[in-house]
Amino acid sequence: MDPSKAAERGASGAVGWSRTFGLLNPLRAVWWLFTSVRFAILLLITLCGVSLVGVLLPQKPARVRGDILAEQDWLQIQEGRFGFVADVFDRTDLFDIFHSGWFAVLLGITVASTAAYIISRFPGVWRSITRPRKRVPDRYFETAPDSLTLDSAIAVEDLEGALRRSRYRVDRFEEEGATYLFADRFAWAQLGTLLTHAAIVIFIFSAVVSRIDSFSTGLFLAEGATLPVFAVRNVNQIQVELLDSHAEFAADGQPLDYYSDIVVYRRGEEVKRCRSTVNSPCSYEGYHFYQTAYFGFGAALEVRDLSSGNVIYRETLALVETAPSPQVVVRDADGELLFEDSLVLTDSLTSEDLRYVGTIVELVDGRILTMGLLEGEADLQLVVIEAASGEGVQLVLDEGETGVSGGLEVTYVARQEIPLGAIADLPLPDSARGGEGGAVLQMRNVVYGGDNVSSGTNVSTGVVGTPELTISGLKLQAVTLDPGEVVVIDELQYTFLGQREFSGLNVRRDRSDYLIWLGAALTVVGLMITFWVPRRRLWAKISSDGTQLAGQAPRHAKFSRELRRLAASAGTKRR
Amino acid sequence: MTEDPESKPPSPPRANWRVVLRRVVYPLLVIAVIAAVIWWIEYRPGDNVSPTGERYGPVDLPVALVPLGAKVAAEEGALAPDFLLESLRADDMRLSDFRGQAVVLNFWATWCGPCRKEIPQLVEAYDRHRDEGLVVIAVNLQEGRGIVRPWAEDFGMEFPILIDRDGEVGDKYRARSLPQTYFIDPAGVIQSMFIGPLLDERDGTDVQDAISDSELDLRIAEILSPVTDEGS
Repeated sequence: MDPSKAAERGASGAVGWSRTFGLLNPLRAVWWLFTSVRFAILLLITLCGVSLVGVLLPQKPARVRGDILAEQDWLQIQEGRFGFVADVFDRTDLFDIFHSGWFAVLLGITVASTAAYIISRFPGVWRSITRPRKRVPDRYFETAPDSLTLDSAIAVEDLEGALRRSRYRVDRFEEEGATYLFADRFAWAQLGTLLTHAAIVIFIFSAVVSRIDSFSTGLFLAEGATLPVFAVRNVNQIQVELLDSHAEFAADGQPLDYYSDIVVYRRGEEVKRCRSTVNSPCSYEGYHFYQTAYFGFGAALEVRDLSSGNVIYRETLALVETAPSPQVVVRDADGELLFEDSLVLTDSLTSEDLRYVGTIVELVDGRILTMGLLEGEADLQLVVIEAASGEGVQLVLDEGETGVSGGLEVTYVARQEIPLGAIADLPLPDSARGGEGGAVLQMRNVVYGGDNVSSGTNVSTGVVGTPELTISGLKLQAVTLDPGEVVVIDELQYTFLGQREFSGLNVRRDRSDYLIWLGAALTVVGLMITFWVPRRRLWAKISSDGTQLAGQAPRHAKFSRELRRLAASAGTKRR
Repeated sequence: MTEDPESKPPSPPRANWRVVLRRVVYPLLVIAVIAAVIWWIEYRPGDNVSPTGERYGPVDLPVALVPLGAKVAAEEGALAPDFLLESLRADDMRLSDFRGQAVVLNFWATWCGPCRKEIPQLVEAYDRHRDEGLVVIAVNLQEGRGIVRPWAEDFGMEFPILIDRDGEVGDKYRARSLPQTYFIDPAGVIQSMFIGPLLDERDGTDVQDAISDSELDLRIAEILSPVTDEGS
């Protein structure tokens, strides 16, 4: 094709806009650059190349981004791999390509270029659809990509009928002793390419929107607790209350699934009550609440000052540490069961040269024993000593071992781990102040994973009884409470409100989701139009000399075959 | 490459401001309108209006309460900005209603752990000094009555609890973190401001950065008998 004509063709779509921007002279050069197909291709190749580099080079993990110390540590690791080049990579943001400013600029230019291309081409495409050129120069019948010359003059009505039967829109006119036909099918399909281009713009724009507008935060809250989604002082503040955290576990203790029932509040009003799971988040006004974590060992504790009647402390405490808890069985010489339970170890005890963490146990027959685990021993042997006298029980047992002493048979069945938490700010009774400070909470018979767990229903762990909270530090001897049980010490009333579960929720909003759906839809529709219903234009000249057909359609439409089929349908023979 | 029968030679550029208007100005206007609508959806004020039709939130101090040349701002030495909020008991209150009384203005929320720990101290202080004219006003940030009421009842918060649903009063008072407490004297002047929990020391059982148990009392004493410019 003549280069000058190609230039004319490229300029035809943009001519209207060049007129407009001809008035805004400084913009003209930019506009022409952005409407250049070559520039667009160059941009896309650059974008692909840079993205490939971003895939091949290690990128800063989200956890280190913004944390100077963590970033330095991470960069040191990269220096070990890349040497001095690592510093160059860091300075040019090659270790954080997709968050770098220059990548955002590249995306922005690509969006602008693609959008300019669409805008510049649209008027020409639209004109071609609504006002197609119906008469072509006779020379075109020789040069058209698809053409057909017939031996004889065809009956115009026959050809027109054949075209209409094939759902062409047909125009007919007479000129200089010849009859001309223009037939058009799927005229609007020419928009398909523009739709695909628009999809590219939308995809890139959605990336920009996601970068600028997306919001994500994590909440970790206990049943009955409420937490805000945003920091203080946000006009769109949302609060989330966790009503119930539920988990299901396999027999080996591995979590199978969990969900949370939550309430969402805005401006003090309840606006949503819903269930949130890992894959099916609760959504409110574009905010999605995904369950991301579960923690089953929380204790709700309340302290009331009886002198004023007011609550002075009410917290749900996550018991994140663990303490060993030996399971012990004691029988007398006749085999009569005197004790069977798991011990909560609360006190540091000594007996002669033995130092152990233990507790005092009263047997059914009234005998008093101290039991505990030896301090500093890796295998945590069980010590059993009768408090009364040197004549009584004195045993040191390994796990699974049974020993006989003082007329008792003691079995150290197994060792479990129970939740433990050290609480620094728990209000203490006057008599307990001045000590080491704080209280230690241990909870046994913990259960988790059920609808009624908070009220103490045993679900899946095989433990017996309801959860018990043991508090050390309130007075000389540790205090153990069942759910709802209270103890009063020096005018302070301590209440174990029950076991509580925690849920980790991720709150996320990314409005680019909608754009991605739109872009995907446009891509599919655009490609379907382009490949399944390509536009077909046919020009025919019928005169006494013969019949000439010329057509234009994308190559995959195989229009030459279509021309032959139409001619055959019109009842003619090829030359 | 094939010849396109639709091809036409470009016509020379022509000045046409109507085209510029249609193709540049109008699209920009549309974009501006869309941006404005998005902004409004994101940041529109709530329909937070009192029964008398007044909007809850910061309000102007009555002129009669502002001495000539006095500054109104949420900072020490300035007159405390006025506001109108609904209380937990569903009646409306203005800060200026308490002019003539020493006011401890506390911003808090039930989800805020340090706030919960501070409440007993405020309750105690209020009980100790209420006969001397002290008022504690607890402004809850952006929570509903249903959440706040159980806490207020159980913790014995008998002083006014106001609900700042939109957070505009907190915004005015620059409550960037909670709790935050302003000590306002009877003349309406902010004597001091404290960020964080006003906890008393309980033999090392409190958080490390807790202040001494006299801090709250000292600040309250400051507003109960403020030192005037004349030294009276």
